[in-house]
Amino acid sequence: MSSTAILGAWIAVFLTLGIFSYLYKDNPFYKTAEHLFVGVSAGYWTSIFFWTQIQPNLFGRLWPSSEFVTDSFWYKIYNILSYFSTSVFPAGGIDKGHDMHLIYLVPFALGVMMLLSLIPKINWFARWGIAYTVGMAAGLRAYGYLNSNVIGQIKGTAASFADPNLPFFSLTAPSIFNSIVILVGTITGLLYFYFSKEHKGLLGKVSKVGIYFLMISFGASFGFAVMGRISLLIGRFVDLIKYSGSEYLNATLWVLVVMLIILGYDAFKGGGKDTPVSEDAA
Amino acid sequence: MDGFKEFILKIGKVDRRWIFLVLAIVVFIPILTPIGMPIRATVTTKVVYDAIENLPPNSKVLVSIEYSPSTKPENHPMAISILRHLFKNDHKVFVTCLWPDGQFMAQDALKQVAVEEYGKVYGEDYVFLGFRPGNEAVVKGIVSNIRKLYTVDVYQTKIEEIPLMDGINNFSDFAFLFSASAGYPGTVEWVQYAADPTGVPMSSGVTSIQVNEVMPYVQSGQMKGVLAGMPGAAEYEALIGQKGSATSGMDAQSIAHLVIVLFIILGNAAFFIERKRSRKY
Repeated sequence: MSSTAILGAWIAVFLTLGIFSYLYKDNPFYKTAEHLFVGVSAGYWTSIFFWTQIQPNLFGRLWPSSEFVTDSFWYKIYNILSYFSTSVFPAGGIDKGHDMHLIYLVPFALGVMMLLSLIPKINWFARWGIAYTVGMAAGLRAYGYLNSNVIGQIKGTAASFADPNLPFFSLTAPSIFNSIVILVGTITGLLYFYFSKEHKGLLGKVSKVGIYFLMISFGASFGFAVMGRISLLIGRFVDLIKYSGSEYLNATLWVLVVMLIILGYDAFKGGGKDTPVSEDAA
Repeated sequence: MDGFKEFILKIGKVDRRWIFLVLAIVVFIPILTPIGMPIRATVTTKVVYDAIENLPPNSKVLVSIEYSPSTKPENHPMAISILRHLFKNDHKVFVTCLWPDGQFMAQDALKQVAVEEYGKVYGEDYVFLGFRPGNEAVVKGIVSNIRKLYTVDVYQTKIEEIPLMDGINNFSDFAFLFSASAGYPGTVEWVQYAADPTGVPMSSGVTSIQVNEVMPYVQSGQMKGVLAGMPGAAEYEALIGQKGSATSGMDAQSIAHLVIVLFIILGNAAFFIERKRSRKY
């Protein structure tokens, strides 16, 4: 076993047990793990985004090696940039298989405008970038949801009652009974969210049926959520058991013992009395 | 009877940390000493298996990895089982990632299955295109012109230099899509922007928490089955006949569920007893 793998195992054990320790109460182990997670995630995502999109797909289209001409004004700018970082701007242009597309100066400018939100005096520039992103996402999503979640779902669940091959009841396959349940559930569920009229009389009864459909749906979601969390707990336990082996120098046992001693000593001394486990810890 | 009610009320007021401890113990013990509970494939899992089994040999299959280490216990066994099934049937596999962390997960799965288990050749049997940021815009990019989005693969090799990429220009050139997804962007985006507009069949393996969200697509036929969380992964492992980490986790999963149900019943009983008493006085 390499020393890097052993060190990785010890760090993984410390971070896992550090996060679990929050179930007892808020403590420095948890804080350390939490801060490390946030910091490392931010750094990792920034790095990945830069090296998979900005460098190859943006700079690679603005200064491609296929159209490199040393004397041109455009590539003189590139050479100046290259002076600062040869890994981002390698000599002779960026070779990522692109042709030159100066239209990409527009998203480049919008991206820079987004960063200007850090400067209070000119932070209004950021609105341009945000407006473009929101507009593009809204247009893209409107089509997707209308096509797949409205039209696709209607097409998929609509059934002809006159179809002789359609059974009256089936647990998993399309059937007349299932279609009626979907129809009733959709209409009553929608009527529950109709607030222009007081929920009294017939509307009240129908919307109550809608509540039952919603509760069944929430119940199923809760069940799946519990199942998911238990799966993740199993995953961590499997790793903790693996790292408790002698090839990892009994990382789990040592870290657990040290944490228990420190937390136990803290509890014995009465430390952290005012910071009980949060109500939403689970 | 009163003694029993007092006992229920005591349990209802127990410090939540004891419940965490009990749950930890009931999850821990079956991992150490597995019981070997039977695993039977559900219809939705069987549909995924049949969809892949019925693909003609040498089909070009896109596998998209959209999960991170945080959901590895649920998604990773699915990805591994699907890759095993695809390589066993001699299909050509193209791997993309909509999540940055997915790149490492995909790398790990490909190393284990393609290289170590099946000895497949990179560039001839499979291609690892990697991650591109942009969420649904990436899916749209793959649908319209994959070569514009991916000019190089994850190892910075130019796409035109990879033999397997010959004839691959957009999403319609694939015979099938499998998305191993843990959220946004993921399965929903593939249905909305790729499978529905092009008609290319797709299946998915999702985390348990996502099942309710994607199940309507399965019921309406927009998706060919779904692997639902760790149980779905375990069922697929049983179908391909290669047990893995999902199968070994199912004992703990089942027992933990029983204990949680018991706690829910006791908690509710305590609530109703207390409410009845407060009304009486």
